[in-house]
Amino acid sequence: MEIFQLLSPDGVVANLKANSKKQALQELSARAARITGQHERVIFDTLLERERLGTTGVGNGIAIPHGRLPGLDKLYGLFARLERPVDFDSIDEMPVDLIFLLLAPESAGADHLKALARVSRLLRDKAVCEKLRGAESADALYALLTDSPASHAA
Amino acid sequence: MYQGNEIVFIASLLVLVSIFFGSASSRFGVPFLLVFLGFGLLAGESGPGGIIFSDYQLTYTIGSAALGIILFDGGLRTNFSTVRLVAGPAFVLATIGVVGTAALLGVAAYFALDITVLEAFLVGSIVGSTDAAVVFFLLNMKGVTLQKRVSGTLEVESSINDPMAIFLTMACVELIRLGQPPETLTLLGLFAAQMVGGLAIGVAGGFLLVALFNRVPVAGGLYPIVAMAAALLIFSGANFLNASGFVAVYVAGLVLGNRRHRGAQVILRFYDGLSWLSQIVMFLLLGLLMTPEKMTPYAIGGGIVAFALILVARPLAVLICLLPFRYTWREIGFISWIGLRGGVPIFLATIPVLAGMPNSELYVTTAFCCVLASLTVQGWTIGPVARFFGLELPARPEAPTRTEIDFGDPSLDRDIASYRVEPDCPALGYRFSELPLPRRCRVITVIRSGAVMDRSKLERLEPGDFLLVLAPPEQFFSLDRLFTARRMAKRKEQGRGDEVFGEFVVSGDALMGEVSALYGIPVDEKDRNDPIGAFIRRRLRRAAVVGDRLRVGPIELIVREMRGGRISSVGIELEPEENPILRGFRRAFGFD
Repeated sequence: MEIFQLLSPDGVVANLKANSKKQALQELSARAARITGQHERVIFDTLLERERLGTTGVGNGIAIPHGRLPGLDKLYGLFARLERPVDFDSIDEMPVDLIFLLLAPESAGADHLKALARVSRLLRDKAVCEKLRGAESADALYALLTDSPASHAA
Repeated sequence: MYQGNEIVFIASLLVLVSIFFGSASSRFGVPFLLVFLGFGLLAGESGPGGIIFSDYQLTYTIGSAALGIILFDGGLRTNFSTVRLVAGPAFVLATIGVVGTAALLGVAAYFALDITVLEAFLVGSIVGSTDAAVVFFLLNMKGVTLQKRVSGTLEVESSINDPMAIFLTMACVELIRLGQPPETLTLLGLFAAQMVGGLAIGVAGGFLLVALFNRVPVAGGLYPIVAMAAALLIFSGANFLNASGFVAVYVAGLVLGNRRHRGAQVILRFYDGLSWLSQIVMFLLLGLLMTPEKMTPYAIGGGIVAFALILVARPLAVLICLLPFRYTWREIGFISWIGLRGGVPIFLATIPVLAGMPNSELYVTTAFCCVLASLTVQGWTIGPVARFFGLELPARPEAPTRTEIDFGDPSLDRDIASYRVEPDCPALGYRFSELPLPRRCRVITVIRSGAVMDRSKLERLEPGDFLLVLAPPEQFFSLDRLFTARRMAKRKEQGRGDEVFGEFVVSGDALMGEVSALYGIPVDEKDRNDPIGAFIRRRLRRAAVVGDRLRVGPIELIVREMRGGRISSVGIELEPEENPILRGFRRAFGFD
């Protein structure tokens, strides 16, 4: 499972404006709705439901919200860099500025897990995050995410 | 007079040098203990120091008092909940485990050393127990945080297993000297008296000490001195009454450490230094006592015994003892490996010497070989082996860099604390004006490079800034989290970070049905309405500790946090490695 299989260039946002976790998730749901053709509300509720079970803020300013949607045809990823970090109830209590959203169809059992593990491994690499934070544009972010050496290492 | 002055001069010099070596970093652990041993050897009769020292009696006295101090300190720092968690297995290890190790090792010694069966069993008994001093020292080193069940088992085991080794050693010495077995019943009675007496005196002494601290006011600076004198009194008093001083002093420390009493902070801080000093003194003395030339004839045999101990006797004995307690193979593996030996075997080796038995150099040499091998081979590998078995937890957050000023007037309900802002602390992620301060807290001033900053113009805090904060005492905990580096941030420098707990987190209250729907894992219908915490607890079939893992379908659930005996947070590992050996190596060498 490679990142480019999940993420398309129009799924990358370089400077998302959000003042809170909820707002960030709302913004991302809206974009995800456009890409996947699903209802924004359904996506947002799915993500909130997951956050209710426990935060997806995995530390070091990273969050990986995710969930399964019945009507989806494949796995969809979205990436956003926030203009200003927001409090995400992260496990290390650091505010979050890099968010990778992953939506999976109900049927994608093993693939869903693989994709999540893949994204999580990529964003655990501090050098990658450093570059993502310094990248100029959405295109640069997309290139880093899909082409970074770490994405081949696995 | 001159002689006395020389002793004071050398002793204080050695201690000073050792402490400055020590505070440079305690991270190196084992090498440090070996350095002190080395200092002792160098200062001794075979080294350039040329100090002739062969007073076994004195070594035994000072060494056991030092061990008493270390055990008291260990007790002070051991949470009673840990003792409850591991009491059964630790007790079995401390009794049957010691006998088993001694017996198995006796077989090895019989073949390796060309001695009688009884003498071989004596060798086994001498090195039969693990050493509390070394265990407490090495397991609490900076850089490795262990799962509580294994660290607790090792600590409690080492604190209570000396009586069995002493008892076996004495019994063997008697047997060899008299040529006939003493009454078995008398022996067992003696052992029971040692354990039960030690326990009783420890409990009584501990409570007495608590009462003393809380009823009788003494000058603040005297609390630690009282605690030290009391510990040594309990230790020697118990020995007078033929009870185990080691057990008594450990239990007394346990009672004192788990009860509210005055001077607790001062005592703990003082004991920090004191147990460190005891380690130094103990290993220096042992080094002084050793004479390498006299040991060479027995060194090869001793080496063989040492490796038989590490590779065969200890692992087998631990396996037998822990199988009934539902320990996982990973836990058994780690506990088998970390059978740390320290000063005790060398003290015990002095018993046959003091009894005037033949071959006395053989016992001392073998004990010395075992200790040396154990300190290097086992001690040095604690970190990698803990990672191999997946028993290392993320480093605890560093102690906050906070200094508090207590106004001493409860009606104020405010204290002032100063913080040094740490690199990687959450506060750095916010603008100064937007710092998420807890309720009723106020930053009074910020000092950067010695200058008071204008707060209205301050954009962000920087690492190294000093802050004065006015806050109600109960809020300091939240403030600590804001200004102290979190464990995740330090994973490269010190041990492992949160990745130990897998990729994602769910609350312990999340229902199994919900988690199952989210990650597509198979769950029985009857378990769907169970909170995930309760589900794990039931499947583990034992009290859970942080770091416990449970495989469910393709993923692994990991206990991430416990609160009041309940599993409050669960980590999810999405792709657990199928091959345990491969996984062990990946963990040990940091590939994952």
